[in-house]
Amino acid sequence: MTGVLSPLVAAAVLVAGAMGAVMRYALSRALPVRPGHLPGGILIVNVVGSAFAGALIGLAERAALDGDLRLVLVTGFCGGLTTFSTWSVETIELVDGDRWRAAVFNVVLTFVLGIAAAAGGYLLVG
Amino acid sequence: MRSYLAVALGGLVGTGLRLACDLAFPRADDAFPVETLIVNLGGAFALGWLVGGLWTRPTTPRWLKAGIGPGVLGSFTTLSAVTAALVVLGREGEWLTAFAYLLASIIGGLAAAAAGLRIGSLIAHRPMPTDVTDAGETL
Repeated sequence: MTGVLSPLVAAAVLVAGAMGAVMRYALSRALPVRPGHLPGGILIVNVVGSAFAGALIGLAERAALDGDLRLVLVTGFCGGLTTFSTWSVETIELVDGDRWRAAVFNVVLTFVLGIAAAAGGYLLVG
Repeated sequence: MRSYLAVALGGLVGTGLRLACDLAFPRADDAFPVETLIVNLGGAFALGWLVGGLWTRPTTPRWLKAGIGPGVLGSFTTLSAVTAALVVLGREGEWLTAFAYLLASIIGGLAAAAAGLRIGSLIAHRPMPTDVTDAGETL
């Protein structure tokens, strides 16, 4: 990736990120978290976004996706769709509410499924 | 509806900030992703602070929480960049770097969120929130 970025591409990255954020928000409202339980909506977007990012990076490495589009889709859309801040605060709130089992599940499932999804996406296009 | 608009605007801002960080600190495929780690830990700390402080104030409007929480900080931080970077580090054979990055993200992220929550509620003089009653909607 070069350091030069056209304003149009930058704007597209921002809009793609906003679209990802709205989709994440819509899903987490559609699947409300019961207090003390696993935040399923955020887990789903994080795993799905990881799969997309893995596949898109795989495509970009095979020159099947150009650099600008990679930036828009990976940095923009996948970055906006997935989140780290919500995951960490929700996990700590589970711990503070003595819901250790849900907290551990949230950590393990997010990273095991997220890494598996990213690797799966990456290998699938290879 | 207003909350969705706030999340969209917040998403523009958060993604823009992360893009600026990405461009300011370019990284080789086999290097430790310091920049993403700082972005994620900073976002986790900031969200914890807000959830422990401003969010507990009854007068804070829901759309504002949505715009800053899931909007700005939700899109500033990212999980896909972490998992994708781990896969690429593995492909490069940088297993030690990948392992260190994974541990730093998990332990660092949880510590940052915990510190933010505690400092936020301490400054706001409010008890720690332990219910994720509106999780996903305002976090």
